Amino acid sequence: MAHPRSFSKTSMAANHNHNYRHRRGSTRTMPYSIAMVSDFFFPAPGGVESHIYQLSTKLIDRGHKVIVITHAYDGRTGVRYLTNGLKVYHVPFFVIYRASTFPTVFSFFPIFRNIILREEIEIVHGHASLSSFCHEAILHARTMGKRTVFTDHSLFGFADAGSILTNKLLKFTLSDVDHVICVSHTCKENTVLRASLDPLMVSVIPNAVVAENFRPLHHPSYGTEFGNHPLPQLIGPHDTITIVVISRLFYNKGTDLLVAAIPRILASHPNVRFIIAGSGPKAIDLEQMLERNVLQDRVEMLGPVRHEEVRDVMVRGHIYLHPSLTEAFGTVIVEAASCGLYVVCTQVGGIPEVLPAHMTVFAKPEEDDLVAATGRAIAALRANKVRTEKFHDQVKMMYSWTDVAKRTERVYDGISGSLSEADFYGYEAADAASWSATRGRAGVHSFALIDRLKRYYGCGIWAGKLFCLCVVIDYLIFMFLEFWAPRDAIDIARNWPKKPRENLMAGDDSSYK
Amino acid sequence: MLTTHPHLRTRRPSPTTVEYTVSTSPSPTLPLRLLQLTTSILRIIIGLTVLLLLYTKYLLSAFAPATHPIGPPETFSTATIFYILTLITHSRLGTLCTRLASITPYTLLLPTSFLLIHIILQRPHTTESLLVLRGLGIQTSTSSASYLSSATTRFIPTEKVQDFLVNEAFRGFEVRYYLVVVVEGEKEVVVVFPRLLPRRKMVETVWRGVRGCLWEKGEVGKG
Repeated sequence: MAHPRSFSKTSMAANHNHNYRHRRGSTRTMPYSIAMVSDFFFPAPGGVESHIYQLSTKLIDRGHKVIVITHAYDGRTGVRYLTNGLKVYHVPFFVIYRASTFPTVFSFFPIFRNIILREEIEIVHGHASLSSFCHEAILHARTMGKRTVFTDHSLFGFADAGSILTNKLLKFTLSDVDHVICVSHTCKENTVLRASLDPLMVSVIPNAVVAENFRPLHHPSYGTEFGNHPLPQLIGPHDTITIVVISRLFYNKGTDLLVAAIPRILASHPNVRFIIAGSGPKAIDLEQMLERNVLQDRVEMLGPVRHEEVRDVMVRGHIYLHPSLTEAFGTVIVEAASCGLYVVCTQVGGIPEVLPAHMTVFAKPEEDDLVAATGRAIAALRANKVRTEKFHDQVKMMYSWTDVAKRTERVYDGISGSLSEADFYGYEAADAASWSATRGRAGVHSFALIDRLKRYYGCGIWAGKLFCLCVVIDYLIFMFLEFWAPRDAIDIARNWPKKPRENLMAGDDSSYK
Repeated sequence: MLTTHPHLRTRRPSPTTVEYTVSTSPSPTLPLRLLQLTTSILRIIIGLTVLLLLYTKYLLSAFAPATHPIGPPETFSTATIFYILTLITHSRLGTLCTRLASITPYTLLLPTSFLLIHIILQRPHTTESLLVLRGLGIQTSTSSASYLSSATTRFIPTEKVQDFLVNEAFRGFEVRYYLVVVVEGEKEVVVVFPRLLPRRKMVETVWRGVRGCLWEKGEVGKG
C-alpha cells in the first residue's frame, strides 16, 4: 500500500453499489431482526460502543429490528431501552479485565438462547475480537441455526503470547461465521491472516462520524450567534498556530513519539502552541518532558475529556497531530478533519485509507519524520495553501452512518441468501470450483453439524479436535435446553412500535423501496 | 394432576371493583375432589405415623418418664392423654413403631421425619390475587407455601400508587415479563404475582384491566 487509498469509495461493498441499486426493485429485502452482541457498550465510553449504537440506530431507521446484548455494568442491569426503541439486555455477568467478561464458553448459552428466541432474532452480529461475549454468542448462534456476522475493530500482532491466544480464539469463532466486516482494508488483511479466512467473505465497511457533532467554529450551514463566516480564515506569518493532540496516553498511541517530538517542534517554530487532552500511564512522561524543557507556557495539558467535549477542544486548534503506532481505523482523525483541522498522522495501520491526501500530511512512525511532517504542515498553513474550511463538507459527504447501515444491510442480504452469490461475492467467484465443499447454496454456510465440525477440524492438529469437542458439547447443551426450557414456554417479546415508513424515507435516496 | 399451568380468573362484583386471581389449582371436578380427599387422608396418616415414630423413639430414650399409669383415669385430664398414648404404643402398630425406632439411629430418624412433615405441610397449589378498588387502592395477596402460615397481603392506597406497569427482567436463565406497582416514597417496587409470574398474555390482560379500572378510561396520562 504505497499510496494512500482513497477512503470509502474503494471498499468492496461499495464496488457493487451500482448494480445493487438496480436490483433492489426485484430482490426486496425483509426487515431483519438483528442482535448486536459485544462486551463493550454504553455506559462505557469508546469507539466500539458508539459504533454499535450508531449502526443500530440507523438500522432501526431503515426498518429493521435491533437489540443489543452486553454484560451488566455498575448500576445498569436488566433490560433497558435507549432512544429510538433500541433494546439493550445487560446480562448479569462477571467482569474480569477492562470491561471484558470471563470466558466461560457455555454458561452464557441458556440465557442467550432465551433472548434470541423471545426476540425472534435471525442474525447475530458480534463486535470486537477481545470480547468473549461476542465469540460465545457466535458459536451458540450457529448451533441454534442463526446467521452470524462479526465485525473486527482492531489490529493485532502475531508474535507475542497474548496475540497468539487471541488469534487462536478468533480462528475458532471465525471458522464458522457467515461473514466478517472489517473497518479498514489493513484491518481486513490482518483479520484474514489471523483467522485464516477466505478474503471473499470479509467486507470492509469503515466507521463513520456524526458530522453535525464535529463542526468547525464558524460554518455557513450552521448559524452561529455571531453570524456567518463563510470567508476562509487567513493565517499570517506570525500568527500562533495551535496543534491539538487528543488520545489516550498509552504506548500504542505513540505517546513516546510525542514526548520526543514536541521539544523539537517548539524549538524550530516559535509561534506554535500545543493542546494535549487525554490521560493514561504515559501522562507522567509528558509532564516530565515539559518540566525538563520548561515548556509549560506553550503546552497545555487538559487531562481526560469526555467525548462530547472533544469537538470544543478540537476547534481551538489548526493542526491535529496523531502519532499512533497502530490503528485499525482512527475515527479521531476523521473527527478532527470534520472540525476543519489539518491532520498530521503516522502512516500506520488503516490510517492511510481514512482521509484523502489533501487533508493529511503523513509521517513515518519515527521522531525525525514526525517533526519534519509537522514542519511541512505548519508551512502549508502559513502559506494558506490548505482550504481547511472545506474539510467539514467533504467529510460529511464521505462518512455517514446511514451509508454504513446500508452497506451492513447488504451484508445481511448476502448471508441470508436474498442476494445471489454472484451479486454478493462478485461474478468470478460464482463458479463452484473456487468454493469449499462445506459451503452451500449462495455461498451460505450450511448449518449441518457434520459440516460445521469439518470447518472446525481444520483449525489445527490439537486445536481442531478441541474445537470439535466444544462444538459437540455446545450442541448437546442445545438439545438439553430444548428439552429443559421448551420453546413454547418462552414468551415472544413485543416489538417497539415502528414509525410509518414514508416519514423515515423522506431524507433518504430512492434506493430503498 | 393436582396442579395445572397458572390460569387467570377475573371477578367483577361491581363496575369499580375487579379481582384477578392467578392460580395453579385446576377446576374442581368429582374425580379431582375425590383425589384431593384421598391425598389429604394420606397426608394425615403419614403425619400421625411420623409423630408416633418420634414419640416411641422418645420413650426409648433416657429422658422418658419411668412410671406408667395402670388403670383408666378419670375422663378429660392430662392423664387421659398419656393413657391413650400408652394404649397406642402397646398396640400392634405401636410395637412395630417401637421396633423400627429402636433400630433407626437419631441421625437418620430426625432429618427424615422433619422432611416428611415439611412435605406434607406444603400446599399443593399457589394462588395469587390482585384486587383493585377504584378510589381506594390495590390489594395484592399471595398464598403461602405451607399450611402453617396464612397468605401474605399488601394494600396500597390509590394516592400512593404512582404507576402500574409491565416490566422485563432477568430471572435465573430467562427473561420474564412481570407486573409492578410503583409505590410513592418507596425505593423498591411491588411485584404483583411474585411466585407464579404468569406469562405475557395474562400479564397484559391484567395490566389493561387494572389501568382501566384504577384510572378511568381516557384520562390515563402516564406511560
